[in-house]
Amino acid sequence: MSDPDELLRIEGIRKTFPGVVALDSVDFDLRRGEVHVLLGENGAGKSTLIKMLSGAYTPDAGRILVGGEEVRIQGAQDSERLGIATIYQEFNLVPDLTVAENIFLGRQPRRLGMIDRKRMEADAADLLARVGVNVSPRARVRDLGIARLQMVEIAKALSLDARVLIMDEPTAVLTSEEVEKLFAIVRALRADGVGIVFITHHLEEIAALGDRVTVIRDGRSVGQVPASTPEDELVRLMVGRSIEQQYPRERPEAAQEAPVLLSVEGLTRDGVFHDISFQVRAGEVVGIAGLVGAGRTEVVRAVFGADPYDQGTVKVAGEPVRRHDVGAAMAAGIGLVPEDRKGQGLVLDASVAENLGLVTLRSASRGGLVDLKGQHRAAERIAGQLGVRMAGLSQHVRTLSGGNQQKVVIGKWLLANTKVLILDEPTRGIDVGAKVEIYQLINELTAAGAAVLMISSDLPEVLGMSDRVLVMAQGRIAGELPADEATQDAVMSLAVSTPTTTTTTEKEAFRGH
Amino acid sequence: MATDTLNSRAGAGAASGGLRRLLLDNGALTALIVLVIALSALSGDFLTTDNLLNIGVQAAVTAVLAFGVTFVIVSAGIDLSVGSVAALSATVLAWSATSHGVPVVLAVILAVATGVAAGLVNGFLISYGKLPPFIATLAMLSVGRGLSLVISQGSPIALPDSVSHLGDTLGGWLPVPVLVMVVMGLITAFVLARTYIGRSMYAIGGNEEAARLSGLKVRKQKLAIYALSGLFAAVAGIVLAARLSSAQPQAANGYELDAIAAVVIGGASLAGGTGKASGTLIGALILAVLRNGLNLLSVSAFWQQVVIGVVIALAVLLDTVRRKAGATPQAAGTGSGGGKGRQAATYGLAAVVTVALVAATSLLHTGSASTTPKMGLSLSTLNNPFFVQIKSGAQAEAKKLGIELTVTDAQNDASQQANQMQNFTSSGLGAIIVNPVDSDAASNSVKAADKAKIPVIAVDRGVNNAAIDALVASDNVAGGELAAKTLAEKLGGTGRIVILQGQAGTSAARERAAGFAQGLKAYPGIKVLAQQPADFDRTKGLDVMSNLLQAHPDVQGVLAANDEMALGAVKALGSKAGRSVQVVGFDGTPDGLTAVKNGTLYASVAQQPTQLGRIAVDNALRAVQGKKVEQAVKVPVKVVTKENVAGFSG
Repeated sequence: MSDPDELLRIEGIRKTFPGVVALDSVDFDLRRGEVHVLLGENGAGKSTLIKMLSGAYTPDAGRILVGGEEVRIQGAQDSERLGIATIYQEFNLVPDLTVAENIFLGRQPRRLGMIDRKRMEADAADLLARVGVNVSPRARVRDLGIARLQMVEIAKALSLDARVLIMDEPTAVLTSEEVEKLFAIVRALRADGVGIVFITHHLEEIAALGDRVTVIRDGRSVGQVPASTPEDELVRLMVGRSIEQQYPRERPEAAQEAPVLLSVEGLTRDGVFHDISFQVRAGEVVGIAGLVGAGRTEVVRAVFGADPYDQGTVKVAGEPVRRHDVGAAMAAGIGLVPEDRKGQGLVLDASVAENLGLVTLRSASRGGLVDLKGQHRAAERIAGQLGVRMAGLSQHVRTLSGGNQQKVVIGKWLLANTKVLILDEPTRGIDVGAKVEIYQLINELTAAGAAVLMISSDLPEVLGMSDRVLVMAQGRIAGELPADEATQDAVMSLAVSTPTTTTTTEKEAFRGH
Repeated sequence: MATDTLNSRAGAGAASGGLRRLLLDNGALTALIVLVIALSALSGDFLTTDNLLNIGVQAAVTAVLAFGVTFVIVSAGIDLSVGSVAALSATVLAWSATSHGVPVVLAVILAVATGVAAGLVNGFLISYGKLPPFIATLAMLSVGRGLSLVISQGSPIALPDSVSHLGDTLGGWLPVPVLVMVVMGLITAFVLARTYIGRSMYAIGGNEEAARLSGLKVRKQKLAIYALSGLFAAVAGIVLAARLSSAQPQAANGYELDAIAAVVIGGASLAGGTGKASGTLIGALILAVLRNGLNLLSVSAFWQQVVIGVVIALAVLLDTVRRKAGATPQAAGTGSGGGKGRQAATYGLAAVVTVALVAATSLLHTGSASTTPKMGLSLSTLNNPFFVQIKSGAQAEAKKLGIELTVTDAQNDASQQANQMQNFTSSGLGAIIVNPVDSDAASNSVKAADKAKIPVIAVDRGVNNAAIDALVASDNVAGGELAAKTLAEKLGGTGRIVILQGQAGTSAARERAAGFAQGLKAYPGIKVLAQQPADFDRTKGLDVMSNLLQAHPDVQGVLAANDEMALGAVKALGSKAGRSVQVVGFDGTPDGLTAVKNGTLYASVAQQPTQLGRIAVDNALRAVQGKKVEQAVKVPVKVVTKENVAGFSG
C-alpha cells in the first residue's frame, strides 16, 4: 500500500446499470513507469472501468486510491486534478480550432484578458516535438489524419502533466507504421515515469509494449499476468475457453474456375484513385490491404454506388451496374458494410429489428405498406442465425456491444440475399470472440457461393482470411498477391511503394499465372 | 434482466400499473392530465362537454399543421413554412371559388395541390439544392405569405357557403374541425407506423447516411416528406378558413412555431428519429387547453404569454427528465428502485408544474365568483398603445360600474380571436365586446354568441354578416379624409408626399387608405410619390421611410395610417421632420401627441381610444340590462395640432 512507485490502485470496484452488473470486485493497480494492459472482450467492462477513472461514472462500491490516498472522482475536473488523462477511441477535439487551441482548450494562456496566442503556440510546439509529430500548432484539426489527431490528443494529455495516461484502443485505427511510432512515444513516456493504462485487442501488441496485463471477463478481474504470457493463454483467460483458430478460413477447392461475380475495370476518380481493376469470383474472399489514405474505402464506396467515379465500369455477373446509384448496385446484389459502423451502418436509436429490416424495407412493401410482421419474422430468424446477443429485437442497437452491432449490419445484407458483400474494416474495435464469429460468417457466405471483398488494416487478418490480397498505395493498385505468397513483408513493401502505370502490366502478368 | 424487472412490475400493478407505465412513458400525457385536473379545479366552466369540444376545435388547426410537421421533424428536418402555406392554400381556395367561379370541389383540389406544390418546392430545394431545411422553408414562409397577399390583394375573401360548412358541426354537436383533426391524426399514425415512407422517415432521421447506404432513396423520400407536410398545411388552411368563413391572407401567422412546439412537446426530438402522431396530438391539446383555461380564468392577457411559455418549457423538461431518469444507471436486482427513481422524478416535476400553474393562475386570476355582471373584451392586439388605451378605458369603466371584465389579446390572429370568443360564449358571459382582427372573420363567432343570446358590442372595427348590438367606433374613412386634408392644406395645396399604409389585409388599413384617397381628390396639386405598407409598426415605419427617402429625397409630406408609423417616419426624417417635411399621423396616441407638442409631428387625427373602451363597456351594460342601445355610436375624431394639443390626453 505504501509502495512509493504506486500511482493508482483500485480495490473491489462494483458498478451496476439497470439490469446489468457491469463490474464486480475488480482490482487493478498501476505503477510509475509501466504499461499496464487492460485486456478483455467488448462488453467485459474495460470501458466502464476507465470511465470511473475519468470521472464519467462513480462506483457503487469499492475504493480508488491515487498515490496511496483514497479519492472520489466525481467529474472530469477531479481526474484532471489528480493527473489522470484519458484518450478515448472517439477523440475529444474541436475540428475547426487549431492544434494549439485544442491542446489548451479551456486553459489557454492569457495576457491582459486576451489569449496569448504566441505563447500558446510556442508551448504547443514544444509538446508536439516531445510527442515527435510534425504538425504545425496553427494547423486546423479538421485537416489532420487520424494518426496525427491521436498525437494531438497525447500532446494534450502531456500538457496536463498527466501522471496516469489511459489509452482506449489507440491502435485500432492506425496502420502498422503508425502503430510503431505510437509505441515509441509510449515507451518514451514510460521512461519519463508516466503510468500508462493501455487497452487493446491486438494480442501481439501486448508482448511488444506491455509490462503487466490485467484480464477482465464478464465484469470481473480474472487475473493479472506478465506481458510475456503466451497469446493462447491470454485468449483463454479473456474468453474463458481456448479459441482453436484465430483465422478459420476454409479455402474452397475450385475457386479458380468459379464464375466471376464482381468485375471492376479501370475505375478512376481524378485525384482519388486511378485505374483500379480487379475481379472477385464466387466463393472467394479478396482482401484489400494498404495504408490508411491509400484510397481503399473510396474505391469500394464507388463500386457500391455511394460515391461517383469518373471513368471505368463495374459489372456484377457480367452485367454493368449504373454509376453512382446505390439502388442499382443493390439490385445487382452488392452490399456494403461501411467502415464507420455507428456513423454509416446503423440507425443507433432504432431497434435491432428495424436495423435488420432497413435494406429489405422496400421489397417488403406492397402498395406503400410495409409487411411489419414479415419483417419481424425475418429479423428474428437472422438474429438467431448470427447469434446476436441482445435483450430482444426491440433493443436499441446503440446499447449493443461492437461485435453485436457489426453482426446487425452484416445481417441486414444477408436478409437481402447479397451476392457480393463488401466489408470495410469489419472487425475494427471488435473483440477476439466476436471476430472469429464474423470470420465464420464470411466462410458460410463464400461456401454458399457469395463473393466477399474485404478491406482491413489488420494485416494478420487480411492474410489469414483472404484468398487473394490486393494492395493499394496512393490511389492505385500496387500489386496482387495470392494467399500463399502474401506475407506481412510482401504486403508492406507494396503498400509503401509508389505505383506507376507500369503496375498495370505487372498485374496483368500476375493474372497470367 | 431488464425484461424481468418490467415483468415483475407489471405483474404487481395489474391494470393500474399499466396506466402508470403509460403515464411514465409519456411525459406529455402526464403534463396534459395535470393541466386538465388543475384547470377543472380552478374553473367550473372548464370540464363541460361544450368547452372540451371547443378545445378540440381550437386545437384542430395547430394539430393538423403539427401532424405534417411531425413527418418532417421525424426525418430530422424542419418546416417553417406551414403557417404561410396554410394561408396560401386557403387564399387559393377562396380566390378560385369565390372570385373566379371555379366549382368548389375543383377549388378544394386546387388548394390542396397548392400546398403539395409548396412542399415539393421545399423538398426540391433541400434534396437537390442542398439548402438547409431551415433556410429553404424560411424562404417559403416569406414566399407563401407574399403570394397569398398578392392573390387576395391584401383583403380577406369570403368563402362559398359549402366550404364554410367545414367549420360547422356534424349532427348538431360534433364540430367538423375536430373530425378532420382525428382523421388526419389517424392517417399520420398509419403513415408513420405502417408505410414504407413512414419507416423511411425514422431511418433517415436516425442516420441519413446509414439509410442511404442501405438503399433508401433519401432524396426522393425527402421530396415526398415535405410534400406531405405541405398537404397537411393545406388541409389546416382550409379548416381555418372554413371556421372564419373567409380566407385571410394574414391567417396562421406564426403557427409554424406552435406546430413545432406541439411536435416537440409530444416527445419528438429536433435531432430526428423519434416522434409519434399521438404525442403530437397531445402537444397540440396542451397548447389549446392552456389557452382555453387561461381565458376562462381571466388571466391577464400579458401574463398569458408568460404562462404559455413556461408551460411549454416545463412540459418538455418533464419529458427530458423522465427519459434521463430512465437512462441513468440504476442498481440492478433492485429493479423497483430504478422504477422509483424514475417515478419520483416524474411526479416531482409534475408537482412543480401543478404548483407553478396554480400559483400563477391564482396570482393572476382577477375574478371572484360573485354575482357581478361578467363581460369579455377580445382585443385584436395589445402590441400597440392605441389598443392598450382601449383596454384601460374599458377596465376603468368596468371597475367604476362593478363589472368583472376579462380581457384577451388575439395577437392580430383572426382564428385565435375566434377561439377566445368561443371561450367567452361557452363560459356564459353577460356580454362580449369585440375589437375584430378582421370584420369578416369575426362573423361566425358573433353568430355563435347571438345564438347563445349574448349581446355583442364591436369596438373600433365593425363585424360583417352578423348582428351586433352596437358598433362603437371612430370613423376611419372620415378620419383618413381629415388627415389628407390637413396635410394638403399645410402644404398649401401643392407638394410631393408619400403614404405609409397599415398592415395589408386589415380593415383599418383599407379604410384609412380609402379615406386618404378620397381626401386627396380635392387637391390635384398633391402628388403621391409612393405608397408602401409599414404594418402599423414603428420600426417598419422607420425602415420603409428610410428606403423611400433614398428614392425620393425631395418629399415634402408624409401621410401615415397610424401614429406608430408616423413616429417611425419622423425618426427616419431626423431634423427634416416638422421643418421641410410635414408628417401627419392617425390615432392620437400619447407618444403621437407628445410629438405633436414638440413639433416633429405636424398633426395626428385623434381618435379617443380610452373613450372607445369606456363607451363600449357602457353600451354593453345597457344591452345586458335590456335597455335600448344605439346601433352605431360614433366617437368623434379630431385633428390635433400644436395649437389644440394641450386639450387632449388620449
